[in-house]
Amino acid sequence: MIFVFDGAMGTMLQQAGLAPGDCPELWNVENPAAVTAIHRRYVETGADIIETNTFGANRIKLSHYGLENRVAELNAAAAKAARAACGPKTKIAGSVGPTGKFIAPLGELSFDDAYEVYYEQISALDAAGVDMVIIETVIDIQEMRAALLAVKAATAKPVVCQLSFGADGRTLTGTDPRTAAIVLEAMGADIIGANCSLGPAQLLPVVAELAAACSLPVSVQPNAGMPELVNGQTVFPMSPAEMGEWTPKLVAAGATYLGGCCGTTPEHIKAIKAALGPEVKPAPRTAAVRTALTSRSQTVYLGAGLPTVLIGERINPTGRKALAAEIREGSFAAVKREALEQVKAGAKVLDVNMGVPGIDQTAAMATAVTELSVLVDVPLAIDTTDAAALEAGLKAFPGRALINSVSAEPERLEQFLPLAKKYGAAVLCLPIAPGGVPATADERVNIAGDIINAALAAGLRPQDLLLDPLVLTVAADARAAQETLATLRAYRRHFGYPAVMGLSNVSYGLPRRDLMNAAFCAMALDAGLDAPILNPYDPAMSDMLSATAALLGHDPQGQRYSTVNAGISAGPAAAPAHAADILAAVKQAVTSGQKEAVAPLVRQALAEGHSPLAITDQGLTAAMNEVGEAFGKGRCFLPQVMLAAETMRAAFLTLKEELPAHRADSLGTVVLATVRGDIHDLGKNIVAALMENNGFRVVDLGKDVPAEEIVAAAKKENADVVGLCALMTTTMPQIDIAVTALKAAGIPARSIVGGAVLTAEYAAQAGADAYAGNGVEAVNIAKRFVGK
Amino acid sequence: MGGYMQTYNPPLTKIDKEETRRYAGLKGAVAFPEQLLDTACAEALLLARPRAVWNIYPYEPATGTIAAPAPLRLAGDRVRGHLTGVGEAAVLAITIGPALEEEVSRLFAAGEYTAGLLLDAAGTAAVEQAADAADAFIADQAARRGLKAKSRFSPGYGDWAITDQPAMVALADGGHISLTVTPSCMLVPRKSVTAVIGLAPAGEKNGRGCAGCPQTDCIARRELSQ
Repeated sequence: MIFVFDGAMGTMLQQAGLAPGDCPELWNVENPAAVTAIHRRYVETGADIIETNTFGANRIKLSHYGLENRVAELNAAAAKAARAACGPKTKIAGSVGPTGKFIAPLGELSFDDAYEVYYEQISALDAAGVDMVIIETVIDIQEMRAALLAVKAATAKPVVCQLSFGADGRTLTGTDPRTAAIVLEAMGADIIGANCSLGPAQLLPVVAELAAACSLPVSVQPNAGMPELVNGQTVFPMSPAEMGEWTPKLVAAGATYLGGCCGTTPEHIKAIKAALGPEVKPAPRTAAVRTALTSRSQTVYLGAGLPTVLIGERINPTGRKALAAEIREGSFAAVKREALEQVKAGAKVLDVNMGVPGIDQTAAMATAVTELSVLVDVPLAIDTTDAAALEAGLKAFPGRALINSVSAEPERLEQFLPLAKKYGAAVLCLPIAPGGVPATADERVNIAGDIINAALAAGLRPQDLLLDPLVLTVAADARAAQETLATLRAYRRHFGYPAVMGLSNVSYGLPRRDLMNAAFCAMALDAGLDAPILNPYDPAMSDMLSATAALLGHDPQGQRYSTVNAGISAGPAAAPAHAADILAAVKQAVTSGQKEAVAPLVRQALAEGHSPLAITDQGLTAAMNEVGEAFGKGRCFLPQVMLAAETMRAAFLTLKEELPAHRADSLGTVVLATVRGDIHDLGKNIVAALMENNGFRVVDLGKDVPAEEIVAAAKKENADVVGLCALMTTTMPQIDIAVTALKAAGIPARSIVGGAVLTAEYAAQAGADAYAGNGVEAVNIAKRFVGK
Repeated sequence: MGGYMQTYNPPLTKIDKEETRRYAGLKGAVAFPEQLLDTACAEALLLARPRAVWNIYPYEPATGTIAAPAPLRLAGDRVRGHLTGVGEAAVLAITIGPALEEEVSRLFAAGEYTAGLLLDAAGTAAVEQAADAADAFIADQAARRGLKAKSRFSPGYGDWAITDQPAMVALADGGHISLTVTPSCMLVPRKSVTAVIGLAPAGEKNGRGCAGCPQTDCIARRELSQ
């Protein structure tokens, strides 16, 4: 069956006389006849479902008109106005639009507040007797989740979830149609679709992607093309006939609910209806039932025949004192770092455990999940035994998470399964029963079967279930690993759901746990493990995984394996230690910025009897000169100069360490400052670093430094050179003031000025002794000034 | 139009490495350790807290004035030229917060010059990416009304004096994201941007655009065929 929605309401209201800036929903009470008349035209031209004039009838949107206390009244009046236009078979969909505010952390509206706002409106629509609810034009998946939860709490009526996608095929906050379909189907949407923002041509691939990713009916309500403002009116260019032509194509792509959004009129709906002749049949749907997890912006499928999915285990404070301490103090810096690094190391899902004794685990989980949801784009596994922490994590996560895990203990089944259903999460079934930990594969299969039955009874679907075979310590029980492997095989035989497990228990108490874990993982992958929870940094493990991918057929002809492993023999660039002359080697280390290599070379040079002076002159200074020259000629770039300077610094520090009595002669003293009013200091810091590592003593006065302070420091430090920098037109005059003050005070130091907006002409006019365009130039000028 | 301050904290899950390379002055450099750039981008992700805030006001192209309650006549011919034909202007402010620049200072003090320099560049990339995201949202919302968003323009571009910075921060409600301006018109935190985005009717069928512009001697003026 194919159904036709109505077209635009706003466009029609404006044609009927709604003035720009007036509240469209207020017409439900002030001019209901006009609203009914619009509905009636849509019914007459073929709409099977009409949408109430309540798109902005939520408390937040209505507050723009001072109508926030009239939510129930305006929604009820809208349903009444729609009812008056209905034919015998017409259905009414209560229209629910966005609040216009982003939900935290993308904005300032809390998830709970958004939920309340939606709950209020949807309850009103439900009480007023709409037949279904349509949440539409939403650009953020998290806002859609809040609205969908509110629908589920407010009514048992069907709900249509329509997101608004951009020209890049994603919602503005990054969700693609596939991910949206998976998240919303799991949370209990009845129809999933797209509306607004784009015309039918651009929405066609969106419809196809939605249809391919879920088994629900797909709806589409395009704009009448892309709008243009003509003589103060927003005009949509697509004609009804053209809209009609797109209709069979949208049906072929998978849509069975079609209507129009902005700019569409009863004529467009008439054309859509006319295009749906008896020959237009719903497209056959072939979406396979697959287990998927998602983040806001990405979907990960798991299961037999698919590549192994690495679940990173590192966000877990158990046995990690530093991480636990940070979480306890409310800092999530280490958690975020672990997330980024694990993803970089190949983790496709991250396990998040906040099990620090004595903390508010619920708050910690909410914060961790919130922070991670805007930092990485992989799905999360919420790892907790605490129902409140679980709910906090599931709520905060703008995707479909995995619950790690649900055992067969009654309390866990009662608390966790409804949360999984509510938030559309997948569930990892852990075969532990009240009687204890089952030793054999048979017992585990039985208990897993009980959890599966309970989950299905709680309304979860087969694609929501994953199985943990249970990993015990081989050091304690020689059969431990064998039973796990047998369980994996039995799971695959009996159930076929994806298998997930944490590996590291197996090697507890043994040396070289990395080796044991990797070997066990390889065996488990063969026995049916789809997603190991592991330490993705472990080199033995990643080597093993690249090999097993090829062995299991996930890496055809071992191509990736070859790419990864062929590079290994290449090794790092040749170390400078091979240079014949040790001083040349020191120099080369500095020019090529090999900070780690320079200290041993300096020690070697000292051991070979070279004096610190010789090392400095022939090794270090010579190198910096060469780098400076290359920079001047455009052959090397600022970060490379800085690398050389850092290497130089490491060399100086080594000299100081080896010969504490040795004091390198200073070329002279440089006082540096960013002038008053200017708070930029990157450029000045670069100059300081280069001066210091070219042998000057540097007195860095910092930024926003008044002229008097510069004069005082130049006098006190007996400066040879004063370097001044300003970056903005507004602070440039401070250069003049400082230079004048230095002269007035009779300071003999020569001045060098520079900074983004400064020029040689300006420097001359200000009376400075020199202008330097960059740090290297500044060093060269300073050397000239001190006669070196 | 106008009246409602909007906020958006764009999620950044990646810092553009090529832009970071460009801001670090490495364009064209060969044999620079990629890992240093990767580290800088990852650190920037950890430290950046992108926040954007904006308001949309009517704009009077004839005088180059943003018609806010406290009107602002834009101090620059280039920006006024850029906003030719524009009827509304979004004034926005974006910051990634102070943590990143504090870390840059710490790195320099610790002798980690390269890391500091690269992190600073990654921070610039981050604030630009955040601005792009806010920009995309503003453009999307405008497109729904048939308006086309012009490219972002900031004080300091061309001849637009940065002395407009305090007014821009005020018009954007920059205080809401803890953005302040020094007496010398610098933004604090430094990794921040203010900008104006002109919203003009899409297409020129209405005879506005160049034809409606009083700057008849503009070199960029388009002659309409009809």
